[in-house]
Amino acid sequence: MSVQAPDLGVVDGPAAIAAPAADAVGNWRAAWRRLRRNRAAMIAGGVFIFILFASFPGATLWVHLVAHRGPNVQNLSGFIMSGGHKVPVVSDDGTPIGPGFRGEYLLGADANGRDLFVRLLYGGRTSLTVGIASALLCTLLALILGIPAGYYGGIVDRSVSRLLDLIWSFPVYLLAIAISACLIVGGLDIGPIHISSTSLLIPIIVIAVVYIPYIARPIRGEVLALRRREFVEAAVAHGAGPVRVMTREILPNVAATTLVLFTLIIANNILTEAALSFLGVGVSVLTPSWGNIIQEGYSTMVTAPWQTLAPGIAIMLTAISLNVLGDGLRDALDPHGARQGGAR
Amino acid sequence: MSGSDVQATATAPRARTRHSAPRWTAVLPALAAAAVLASCGGSGGGSNSNANANAGTPVNGGTLRAAMVSNPDHLDPALAYSTETWEMLSATNDGLVTFKRASGNAGNEIVPDLATAMPKVSGGGTTYTFHVHTGVKFSPPVNRTVQPSDIKFSIERLFRVNSPGVGFYTDIKGASQYEKTKKGGISGIVADDKTHTITFHLAQRDGTFLEYLAMPFADALPVGTPDKDVSTVPQWRIATGPYMFKSYTPQGSITIVRNPNFHQWTPNIPNGHLDEIHVTIGVSPDQAVNEIADGDLDYYFEAVAPDRLAAIQKQYPSQVHIYTRNALLYFTLNGRKPPMNNVKVRQAINYAVDRPALVKIFGGQGTPTENLIPSGMTAYKAHHFYPYNLAKAKALVDASGTKGMAVQVWASSTDPQPEAAQYMASVLNSLGYHATVKTMSEGIYYDTVANEATDPQVSYNEWDEDFPEAEDYVDAQFNGRYITKIGTNDNSNLNVPSLNAQMNKVREMPIGPAREAQWARLDAEIMKSEAPIVPFMNRSFPKFYSSRLHGLVFNATFYELFPSMWLSK
Repeated sequence: MSVQAPDLGVVDGPAAIAAPAADAVGNWRAAWRRLRRNRAAMIAGGVFIFILFASFPGATLWVHLVAHRGPNVQNLSGFIMSGGHKVPVVSDDGTPIGPGFRGEYLLGADANGRDLFVRLLYGGRTSLTVGIASALLCTLLALILGIPAGYYGGIVDRSVSRLLDLIWSFPVYLLAIAISACLIVGGLDIGPIHISSTSLLIPIIVIAVVYIPYIARPIRGEVLALRRREFVEAAVAHGAGPVRVMTREILPNVAATTLVLFTLIIANNILTEAALSFLGVGVSVLTPSWGNIIQEGYSTMVTAPWQTLAPGIAIMLTAISLNVLGDGLRDALDPHGARQGGAR
Repeated sequence: MSGSDVQATATAPRARTRHSAPRWTAVLPALAAAAVLASCGGSGGGSNSNANANAGTPVNGGTLRAAMVSNPDHLDPALAYSTETWEMLSATNDGLVTFKRASGNAGNEIVPDLATAMPKVSGGGTTYTFHVHTGVKFSPPVNRTVQPSDIKFSIERLFRVNSPGVGFYTDIKGASQYEKTKKGGISGIVADDKTHTITFHLAQRDGTFLEYLAMPFADALPVGTPDKDVSTVPQWRIATGPYMFKSYTPQGSITIVRNPNFHQWTPNIPNGHLDEIHVTIGVSPDQAVNEIADGDLDYYFEAVAPDRLAAIQKQYPSQVHIYTRNALLYFTLNGRKPPMNNVKVRQAINYAVDRPALVKIFGGQGTPTENLIPSGMTAYKAHHFYPYNLAKAKALVDASGTKGMAVQVWASSTDPQPEAAQYMASVLNSLGYHATVKTMSEGIYYDTVANEATDPQVSYNEWDEDFPEAEDYVDAQFNGRYITKIGTNDNSNLNVPSLNAQMNKVREMPIGPAREAQWARLDAEIMKSEAPIVPFMNRSFPKFYSSRLHGLVFNATFYELFPSMWLSK
């Protein structure tokens, strides 16, 4: 596997925004103004919100109002009216009905007679949940590791850096497959807590862990620069302890970078979920996800390409919208962005 | 049957694992289709035979361009237990007797191979004496004649390498002891190289002992063959037949060439027409269809992907064959694990499965069934104890008091097994259980589910024919004496003493209608009273060949016969 680091567009180095907390509100407002003027980013944000809407309330509404069939309801023996004719959902030779302008089976059926459009909507729910939740967990873990590493330096920094090096030394997908393969057999036991092998938490944890270095390293670099700034020294002079300094002074100043990284890593995590599910080590096969739907349609790609194309397009739109939005956020939050040709 | 019954019973170490047949592997034609096969001029037979496939005068020479989806299990006759490897071994190795190299009913006939004639049977059917041909030579580098002691060595070696076929030979006197000690040889096999005879003494009569000897497990290997898998050890991949393995690169290719030491000693072993067979490993069913259509491939071991079949039947009608096969597809309900240890639950699941619907998941390439014995066998007698009835199924589950329990359905990740497992999970959920699905690579799946340590509650299974007799579908899978810790054939752990006794008795009967009637009766009794599995389909086998490939013969045990094939110029 040659895939290594996703291009998040952020490198170790000085903070994009490194200002005392007092100036933060003004900076956020300025950033929002810049973002609103970035048409591409706004369109991308709109597309992503639409996908979110379609996958969460939209999926439920579609099932209740139009399709009347949930994502896991199998219908191998049923018939529907299509073009004025009564046609089987799955023919005797196993061929599922194709796409058509109708409420039921808008995108056709899969091999088990399930409504592909409904599964696509619910699959989006799963993939976005995994993508966003793993990005949140990944970001949280990265902050927990990155801020102390940058603030304390010394042995703490060296220890965290070596840990990040260790994770980084594995190709991402290989590491994810290895961890997933272990966890999907017996689940995960953390003390008294047992996580079932079919739980969505398994892919969420796996994906979060393998991408920690891609957020923790830039954060650490930024904190290294921030810890010598006057506002940090002033806080220490006023008697603030390390925890207070890190949470009250440093954390707000790395928030902008974190937000950009978080946005970009969501797209990456959704792609990883799709890849792992396609390989059979991601989301449980009983739960629709975009990766699972592609996997299920793979064997009929020649004769029923819509089964793989539909989730593939959904993944592509989500990833592009998040990447464009993330780029827009980075430009908006970077005070040098305007001079570099960013949004004005 | 109950879980406690199973655990209380001493288990006989007679393990017989199924062919680890991937989704589209070759299997066997139906005996019932014999007339159709014969009418097809000796071709494999089936519902859509290629009328021109065997027309013309065979031409010698040429290289057959073949392909398979993944590595074969083993090229060692002692360990090989997949349809692809038996297909190749039938062209490279020989035992005392063999199944006639023919299609249909004719292919079920046992004929002499290394033996000069059929054995002399004495001792009330417990002693078999063979005279072995002189002058049959092993391939290079061994280059010496086959001796009776080689045959004794080869059968004893099965026990030393933990062959999946040992269960077929444990009724030879002394075999059970040898299985435990691995010392002193099997006393019930007496080989005399001076008189060129070999005698087998059985502990009890067995109506299918010759069938066991005709399987590749009993092929002759030279004394001194290491007690390990020799699949990738060229100097010990020794042949006696018209072809021999020249090279094998896992995930790469297999090259089969003519055996320079072969001379035809019996008309039962044809000479062969092809000079070489080159097998490319790692070709998917879709890729194979494209390559055959483009003329880049002649032969593919696996079947046509269901979604491509209709199109190629229309476009290349003369190059498509659909064989009937004696393959039973089913879900095993593990009687050792709750809630499957309750017969009401097992019966409920049988009522709740819509078999014709499930067949659609397999591309409609087969027929629904409730029987253990495939519809292609003469012993088959249809029974219908479990018509689709969800209400009745739910009532049975309510009566069992097991509603709400967690159940996991296992399947391999080979398409369409995950879809079939999802169907079964939906059935279980509709009955009030909390069903989940677990899938894993087919390469390890069958060994995993046949292991007592994993012991899945519900698992997908597929049983292909080992030999053309109903015993293989009833006794081998449902007699408690075959329950083992590893590699068990009785995955459902059915172990009912009264049924075991009946099956043991039938096994001693001579092959024929009376014996078949008993298997049919037991088929019905087991399904009605115990429902240890959910049989749902007898699968067909669609194949697609290049236009230059002729001489197609589909044998009941060895599948497609390479020595019969020839290539037009």
